[in-house]
Amino acid sequence: MAKVTIDGQEMEFAEGTRLFDACAEARGEALPHFCYHPDLSVAGVCRLCQVEVEGMPKLTIACNTFVRDGMVVHTRNEKVRKAARQILEMHLVNHPVDCPICDQAGECGLQNQYMTYGLYESEVEQADKVNKAKAEVIGPHVILDKERCVLCSRCVRFCEEVTKTGEMGIFNRGDRAEIGVAPGTELANEYSLNTVDICPVGALTSRDFRFQKRVWMLKSTPGVCPGCATGCNVRIDHEAGRIFRLKPRRNDEVNGPWMCDRGRMVYKDVHDEDRLTTPLLRGEAVAWADVEEDLARLLAFGSVGLAVGSARATLEENFLLKRLAERLGAGEMSGGLRDADRGVGDDILQDADRAPNRRGLEILDLAEHDAVTLAGRIGNASGTILLLGGDPAAAPEVAAALQGKDVVFVGTHAGATAALAQVVLPGAAWAETAGVFVNRQGRLQDFPQAIARPDRARETWRILVERLAAAGEDTPPASLRTVRLLLTEAHGLPDLNSLPAVGSVPAAGGAD
Amino acid sequence: MTPNDYTMLSARFGRSDGHKLAVYEAEGGYRALRKVLQDGMSREEVREEVKGAGLRGRGGAGFPTGVKWGFVPPDADEIYFFVNADESEPGTFKDRYLLDYDPHQTIEGTIISCFAVKAKLAFIYIRGEFGWLVDRVQKAVDEAYAAGYLGKDILGSGYDLEMIVHKGAGAYICGEETGLINSVTGRKGQPSIKPPFPAVQGFLDKPTIVNNVESVASVPFIINEGAAAYKAFGTEKSCGTKLFSVSGPVKRPGVYEIPLGLPFREFFNDWLGGMAEGEKLKAVIVGGSSVPVLPAEEIMNTNLDYESLGEAGTMLGSGGMIVIPESCDMVELIQVLMHFYFDESCGQCTPCREGTGWLHRIVKRLRGGGGTPEDLDLLEHVCDGMAGLTICPLADAAVMPMRSFLDKFRPEFEALIQETAAAAPTSRWPRGEQE
Repeated sequence: MAKVTIDGQEMEFAEGTRLFDACAEARGEALPHFCYHPDLSVAGVCRLCQVEVEGMPKLTIACNTFVRDGMVVHTRNEKVRKAARQILEMHLVNHPVDCPICDQAGECGLQNQYMTYGLYESEVEQADKVNKAKAEVIGPHVILDKERCVLCSRCVRFCEEVTKTGEMGIFNRGDRAEIGVAPGTELANEYSLNTVDICPVGALTSRDFRFQKRVWMLKSTPGVCPGCATGCNVRIDHEAGRIFRLKPRRNDEVNGPWMCDRGRMVYKDVHDEDRLTTPLLRGEAVAWADVEEDLARLLAFGSVGLAVGSARATLEENFLLKRLAERLGAGEMSGGLRDADRGVGDDILQDADRAPNRRGLEILDLAEHDAVTLAGRIGNASGTILLLGGDPAAAPEVAAALQGKDVVFVGTHAGATAALAQVVLPGAAWAETAGVFVNRQGRLQDFPQAIARPDRARETWRILVERLAAAGEDTPPASLRTVRLLLTEAHGLPDLNSLPAVGSVPAAGGAD
Repeated sequence: MTPNDYTMLSARFGRSDGHKLAVYEAEGGYRALRKVLQDGMSREEVREEVKGAGLRGRGGAGFPTGVKWGFVPPDADEIYFFVNADESEPGTFKDRYLLDYDPHQTIEGTIISCFAVKAKLAFIYIRGEFGWLVDRVQKAVDEAYAAGYLGKDILGSGYDLEMIVHKGAGAYICGEETGLINSVTGRKGQPSIKPPFPAVQGFLDKPTIVNNVESVASVPFIINEGAAAYKAFGTEKSCGTKLFSVSGPVKRPGVYEIPLGLPFREFFNDWLGGMAEGEKLKAVIVGGSSVPVLPAEEIMNTNLDYESLGEAGTMLGSGGMIVIPESCDMVELIQVLMHFYFDESCGQCTPCREGTGWLHRIVKRLRGGGGTPEDLDLLEHVCDGMAGLTICPLADAAVMPMRSFLDKFRPEFEALIQETAAAAPTSRWPRGEQE
């Protein structure tokens, strides 16, 4: 251990601790910085995290210094503050200060640090500034404004060290230096939007989010990405029932600080035109009360032949489906289509299994089946086929088997399955409900509801609980909390109502 | 004392045949290498001799060469050596002379230095603009290979050394040792953060020593004659002789080898012959464009060694001496210098990237007649935000002349502003723009 005195406070740190981290701990906030990022190599170029270490002739950057026993460090004295102010001024010399039209405004490192360390009158006239290219599209997801760039090189290091694709570089030198993509290439790797996250200013912005919403209007809710089995921890940024973007939420045991571009776009499904927003009775939009009669018949005791779950549904939803099937004396169960939701994985984050909760089916002992087998089971089942989630009839074999059967579908999107069902019950999409997904590591990840459901859609677990009540369960669970208690008990799981908090919502301004 | 008394480094300067191996050998060349490799000097003995001679890095920083060698971890087995011939400091042209007139002296010094630090591969990194030097040095290296001074089992000693002549692409910043290493590696030529220092982790992440041409060229003399003989020249702390490249309107500009500690007055009057006809001495930039300027009356009472020049408020630097005549406009001169640093900043560290451009724009505005008295304070303010805050000394190299020009020649700046004030708008906003 090394004893270090930071701003008069003596603390102990493990040998090899970066002084930057030690200072953050001692101060309760990070030193001003742009280029340092804990998951990338140290560049040491923004020069903002200068601190005074007694015995050293000059100020030194904390990001490239390690604690030593007996070190005495000052981070708030006049000399350090003056340096931070001056260096910040240098960052702004050629900055266009176009905050009113910049998407980064409100979560911008330059704005934040100016309010903390700057607060000087500008000495530079607009006409004196170096002009560079603005609004340059450099890839399918990212747009570049070279004037706003502070050349911290985080994006360059990300592409070199994380994706190892190396599309980006710093070209030219002096104050003509600018970031860009290598000639003839574009920033088209599958993690390109992470560069937008780590860009401390408005140089790299998301083409999808650009000009959509001022960031201070957004509310953030922690979530788990439903895009694949990895289960990246995310932050859902939304306003008035609409999701505007997903951002990764740091969880070093799952996704670190990153997530893939495809995962960021899964929110679009939630607001898809195909969303089921109202119950459908033989294709007609009706009120909930209007389906009761048919449901009473189709889901009467002994009338259900087969109940099919889904790797896209939450652990609670599949659990309730199973409980309902048992309550109704259903002959058979299936976890759903084994081969649905397959894609191509990589060795960074993306898993080939594009469903978020296949491991959850294993916990519930719900075996999946391939399309032919599932179709065969449907064909052999006598009575109602109860389907939960996804779109199993997208497989032609399944669709053919469902023809002429009584089908009840609890789902979120219109499609082949909804079209075949006598009764369609509109459930909640992943962001509209609380729940638990079990990722590929077997990690139970719970998430709260982020946004309201559209129109007449209901939380899927409530729909299933209502059916349980209708089926005569004496004390059907009245809350998700109770559902989880039952689930915990039935499958010997850790208490799902007090899963350890995982991930952390990073501070605004790319301050991570 | 006269120029011809000191020929430790410059014996063959100005001669048409000094670059040939036969001539160098006939005049005692490669004797030091034989002494080291054949008479069985140990690596420690060579290092101690160089350390004992008090040889300081001649590239500008003046760090003791032997001490630098000592930073290589003793257990390292893959070590690289670079001779820094990226001589780009304005006013400096001494290494060019060493390599042009006497390449074998540098090659011999390099081989001995490599032996001392146990390097197996040496690069001579030559500034891109010195195209003809690359050929000359390459020919000399080829000769040295043919004579058995390079390659496998040098002089039967069992020591192997390969040498590569590398041509830079012409960037001032590649003279900074980590910038130099990066550019050879194929990366953008810009300095790396330290630590790690190259002596511990440099080229290909292995221990690497980067020495100036003049530093390694001094080594054969030290080995031949011994540390004591070397220390007989110079002062107690500034040992040996040093090359000064003198430009400006003096009677005899050129490259001179002087014993450190020589009074400038003597050097100026007796060696350089004073100012050219019709010119009067105004100021001197003594160690390359990056060191503070000294007005005539200050430099005249200073000796040419590290300590005396330090006390006088400047630095010995690279020995690139720029003599400035009374007829020179100091504001114009600083504009030239500020343009240089603006142009050469690698752009990596914010204070330097933005500061060099900002200084240049302000000085340009002054010269263009748009200056105000506040601009002089602004120049000081910008300098404050640059000095000592960057990875490498390029920001300081721009700040030192800027500050000293303002400090020593402020009246010239003020006069220019006053002269042009009448023509300039009273507001800093151009007229008509406020409406």
